[in-house]
Amino acid sequence: MRPMTITTSMDHMATRTRGFSRRRDVRQVVALWAVLTVLGVVFGLFVPARLMGPPASPTMRGIEDTMTVFSVAAAPVAAVVWAVALYSLLVWRHKGAGPPETDGPALRTSRPAAVLWILLSSVLCVFLLVWGLAEMGSVATAGSRNNPMVVNVTGNQWVWTFDYPDKGGVQSDQLYLPVDQPVVFHVRSKDVIHSFWVVKMGIKVDANPWEVTQTSVVPNKLGTFDIRCAELCGLLHADMETSAHVVSGAGFTQWLQAHGGHA
Amino acid sequence: MDARRTLTGGALTVLGGALVVTLTGIVLHRDGAEAAALSATVKGTAATSRGVLPHAFLKLATYPDSMAGAHGPGGGVHPDWVTYGPTSALKVPAHSLVTITIDQYDGGETITNPYFATVRGTVGGTMTVDGKTLTKTSPDAVGHTFTIHAAPSNQDPLFVSVPLPAVAEDAPVAPNSDYPAPHVVTFSFITGGPGEYVWNCEYPCGDGYYAKFGGAMSSRGYMSGTFTVS
Amino acid sequence: MSSAELASRSGCKRTEVMHDDCRTGKGDTMSEAMVKHGALPTAEGGGGSMRHLNALTAVAGGVALAALGWLISHHFMQTDDPETSDQVVLITLGCWAVGFMAGIGAFAGPFRWLLGNDLTHADEMHLAGKDQGVGRYFRFTTDHKVVGVQYLIVTMVLLAVGGTLAMLMRTNLIVPHSNFLGPQTYNSLVGLHGIIMVIATIIMVTGPFGNFILPIMIGARDMAFPRLNALSLWLLVAAVPVLLSAGFMGGIPTGWSAYAPLADQATPGMDGYLMAIVIFAISSAVAGANITTTVLTMRARGMTWTRTPIFVYGVVASVGLALPALPMFMAAQVELAVDRTMEGQFFIASGGGSPWLYQNLFWLFGHPEVYVIVIPAVVALMELTPVFARKPLYNFNAAVLGIVGIVGLSIMVWAHHMYASGWAPDLNGPFMLTTEMISVPTGVLFLVVIGTIWRGRIWTTVAMMSVYAMLWNFIIGGVTGIYLSDVPADYALHGSMFVTAHFHYTLMGAGLTGAIGALYYWFPKMTGRMLSERVGFVSFWLVQIGFNVTFLGMFAVGLAGQPRRVFTYPHMFATGNFISTIGAYFIGIGMLITLYNVISSWRSGLVAPANPWGGKTLEWAVPNPIPLANFEVLPVVISDAYGYGEGDPQPPHWRADPHSPATPELVPAGAGTTISDTEGSPQ
Ligand code: HEM
Ligand SMILES: [Cu+2]
Ligand SMILES: [Cu+2]
Ligand SMILES: [Cu+2]
Repeated sequence: MRPMTITTSMDHMATRTRGFSRRRDVRQVVALWAVLTVLGVVFGLFVPARLMGPPASPTMRGIEDTMTVFSVAAAPVAAVVWAVALYSLLVWRHKGAGPPETDGPALRTSRPAAVLWILLSSVLCVFLLVWGLAEMGSVATAGSRNNPMVVNVTGNQWVWTFDYPDKGGVQSDQLYLPVDQPVVFHVRSKDVIHSFWVVKMGIKVDANPWEVTQTSVVPNKLGTFDIRCAELCGLLHADMETSAHVVSGAGFTQWLQAHGGHA
Repeated sequence: MDARRTLTGGALTVLGGALVVTLTGIVLHRDGAEAAALSATVKGTAATSRGVLPHAFLKLATYPDSMAGAHGPGGGVHPDWVTYGPTSALKVPAHSLVTITIDQYDGGETITNPYFATVRGTVGGTMTVDGKTLTKTSPDAVGHTFTIHAAPSNQDPLFVSVPLPAVAEDAPVAPNSDYPAPHVVTFSFITGGPGEYVWNCEYPCGDGYYAKFGGAMSSRGYMSGTFTVS
Repeated sequence: MSSAELASRSGCKRTEVMHDDCRTGKGDTMSEAMVKHGALPTAEGGGGSMRHLNALTAVAGGVALAALGWLISHHFMQTDDPETSDQVVLITLGCWAVGFMAGIGAFAGPFRWLLGNDLTHADEMHLAGKDQGVGRYFRFTTDHKVVGVQYLIVTMVLLAVGGTLAMLMRTNLIVPHSNFLGPQTYNSLVGLHGIIMVIATIIMVTGPFGNFILPIMIGARDMAFPRLNALSLWLLVAAVPVLLSAGFMGGIPTGWSAYAPLADQATPGMDGYLMAIVIFAISSAVAGANITTTVLTMRARGMTWTRTPIFVYGVVASVGLALPALPMFMAAQVELAVDRTMEGQFFIASGGGSPWLYQNLFWLFGHPEVYVIVIPAVVALMELTPVFARKPLYNFNAAVLGIVGIVGLSIMVWAHHMYASGWAPDLNGPFMLTTEMISVPTGVLFLVVIGTIWRGRIWTTVAMMSVYAMLWNFIIGGVTGIYLSDVPADYALHGSMFVTAHFHYTLMGAGLTGAIGALYYWFPKMTGRMLSERVGFVSFWLVQIGFNVTFLGMFAVGLAGQPRRVFTYPHMFATGNFISTIGAYFIGIGMLITLYNVISSWRSGLVAPANPWGGKTLEWAVPNPIPLANFEVLPVVISDAYGYGEGDPQPPHWRADPHSPATPELVPAGAGTTISDTEGSPQ
């Protein structure tokens, strides 16, 4: 067995840590880490959610918040790795041609660093999990409260169609939804697997043959939004898209009546 | 290694690689290219719900095999596949009334999704079949459908779907023709602004052990194509 | 574990002679033959029928049997039913594989054994490729060094084909509605690119380096089962044309994952795909069993588990994980074949089957598979980091536990690919848990690398810079993986270009980058020549910058809502896609320059000293060119190979094994294994 440089006495460890933090390279790495962390946090706060665009449902808002929070939480961790990497390239690099003449310090391990790293990453992991479970709970109940409207969604090789079973069976190739009304989608396929995706509402579920899958949402923004297919379904998968129109309650009733249905 | 040799060698390798990619690209491009587009002919104007618009006409046909489409002499690689003709690449003008006439020569059976047995998105929600005005056909006797759709982002939505009734199985072959007398289906719709759309058939008339959407249904140029509004 | 324990574990008595006999693998290696037939002269003319068999006879055999199979099945089966063309195709492809393997001589050994003509010493030497020059690379050669080089070449060919397809795909996506490739062509390219790259990256480290370097690294004379080694390689070669045939039979419409029931609907191209998977799965099982056995039983005396280099752990983890994973994939494809040819209804819901069954089988393979790819690549970088940082590997124990943790968790996360499938929404929470837990052992691997770099004397060769590239790319791949592990976020991102960008950051940014680093590191040992560092850096920067441009662009359009596997897209995604395509061209140019570097350096690069980097693992202790039996005298290992900076002068960590059978008279000097020496160049 090879020897290890593990020190067991807590005392000793504390002094070592103090000595460690006084070293110049350590302080510089920490400074670099702080800079990178700030950059990462700024990136996390402004970029991912912005790229996803304005949300059209509380579900999507929650998802964009998740992206922001996870990015911010990941920034300091990523910064540790990148700070050490960058610093080692800038300062510890062996300059000149050929191999380095001397070896580096024979540092086999250091228990504080390992313990701290594993502890912090576990805490982060638990945080991600708890956040995710809480969010999952709120998504699951999003549309099913308050007497939701049911919309049947049918995927068919390369066209989506919709019908409204409690509204006189109105059929449509585009989706019309009243704003702020919870809605449950019952999703089916006539052939292969498709995936029903209302991009800006943050919902997606596969359409399977001979199965009914569900997803629900409360659209809270007026406008027209893209519906796409998110599962490769053959030749014209790329063109298997349509629109979701979120309209006022009155507008929705009007639309239903114009298409032979009732409110 | 001297620098000159390295530079020429490296450059040659890159060029060689680029050449391979280009040649493969050309072969695949030729292989997958659609036949020349068929443009609608504009004849006069028509009064519509959106005012007076240019009136454009397209004439298509559907065949039970590929001998008559745009697949070359002998029907091309798959002479036994059903096909639309004369081509699958269609072009129509923007902001116009478009009238399409389809000679439907093929038989058929039950459609998978009855949604497509109803006429959708045409003027008045109707079509004429052999002169009779209809809003739908029996879902159990559909030959093909002509269904236009596409990604609605960045362009006007356009959704038109018309079922083409099946020709009876026992219909006799018409004189001077390889096929029985066709059903003549006519319908009109109004185009919005320019855009790139696709059309395809929604009746499962292809191959494949499952859902009959393989073969002719899954190869562009037979039961699907492009629909350009310009 | 001591070697004594090892020996008894593998059923050998600890007598000196038996001991070594045992270590070189039961009755299957030339070393054993050497012991047995030590008195025999190295007869010319061994090999029997094998003398006449090579890649050409293999192709001839494959084509002949395929033609026969086609004629017979076509005659008896071709009817109007849709299934029959699939039956004919599958029979033809199966016949090709059998004929090819017969033509290369894979069945010659068992056949002779059946007839009672066991191999002679001369036959064994012939099989090992002795005195055959370049020809041995085109034969059923058992020398692990030859197999390693063969794997390297197959990997490069696959990467070139997959890369060509990637360039064409990106070209098609350069502007919306480019009309360069039609939807059918594009969809096929996505799938073929995907599966070709997956196969290439599964083998890219464990194949070339696991076969060539690993046995020397553990102080062995060959693999445990040299003939199985050749078998796995040639099965892989047989599978390549089968896979490519898919492109000529209507392509595959399904992407690399071949989801049913779309795969049930597909043209005969799908049969090419599934047959290739079946053959590849067999090849990989054979290779995995062989490598695992080699490491378990053939490590040098004194190479206890704590003295075994981390690369060995990584390779064993990878092939060990592939052992249960690939059969899942194979089972799924066999069921698909039954569906397609015999109305099996495995995946047809209306017939009582389930598409979700396919997805479960596929991802039971698919998720472990990403670790099969990434672990050996990252661990190869971990192996070379101490060498170029001139420091011991930081926290070896944590590295081992990290690998074990990843392997263990990776088989429990598969359904995170099915969050949005509707299969079992109640399981989404538990799968989110296991998935997020993987970030802990993965984080440990990062700790090991940065701990090793910490205050090192960093020698920035191309190999070492690959470590830095991996640190950058793998962090991005990992963080984006955390988003995807979150169930609601995955509802928004699943099936989008974001996912594509994410897995390229892991598979290419960490995986392929690692393999390239490993190539720069071990090339001198494999070929006796140095790769040009200058050319290497040009390629390195082109690839890494191009890579980040390409896939950052894909992240952007993915977040904005572009689905993956689409042949065209609306104008709203135009900018990101354009940037992505330009980046891809830079990757293409960079990879071609690497190809040039490999070819030119192999032919006329600087002659490599035996240990150009100052590495301490055993492969650096053997001379260039490496003798057929690797070691003149087998080593006994005294400590691990990371003792940088420990003692001045550093004590060697191995010495000659006094019990090693002397081999020099059996392996005449000059019986090297590098291509260069057979071409009569350096030295
Ligand atoms: C030359 C660099 C590469 C470029 C430009 C590139 C580009 C692409 C593109 C454009 C796609 C289609 C994306 C989609 O629609 O989902 C794709 C898919 C894929 N790529 Fe790459 N790729 C490259 C290298 C690699 C490498 C090294 C691997 C190694 C594993 C790989 C594995 C895959 C896989 C598995 C898919 C998924 C295929 C599917 O969706 O069925 N690629 N790649
Ligand atoms: Cu789709
Ligand atoms: Cu049709
Ligand atoms: Cu996974």
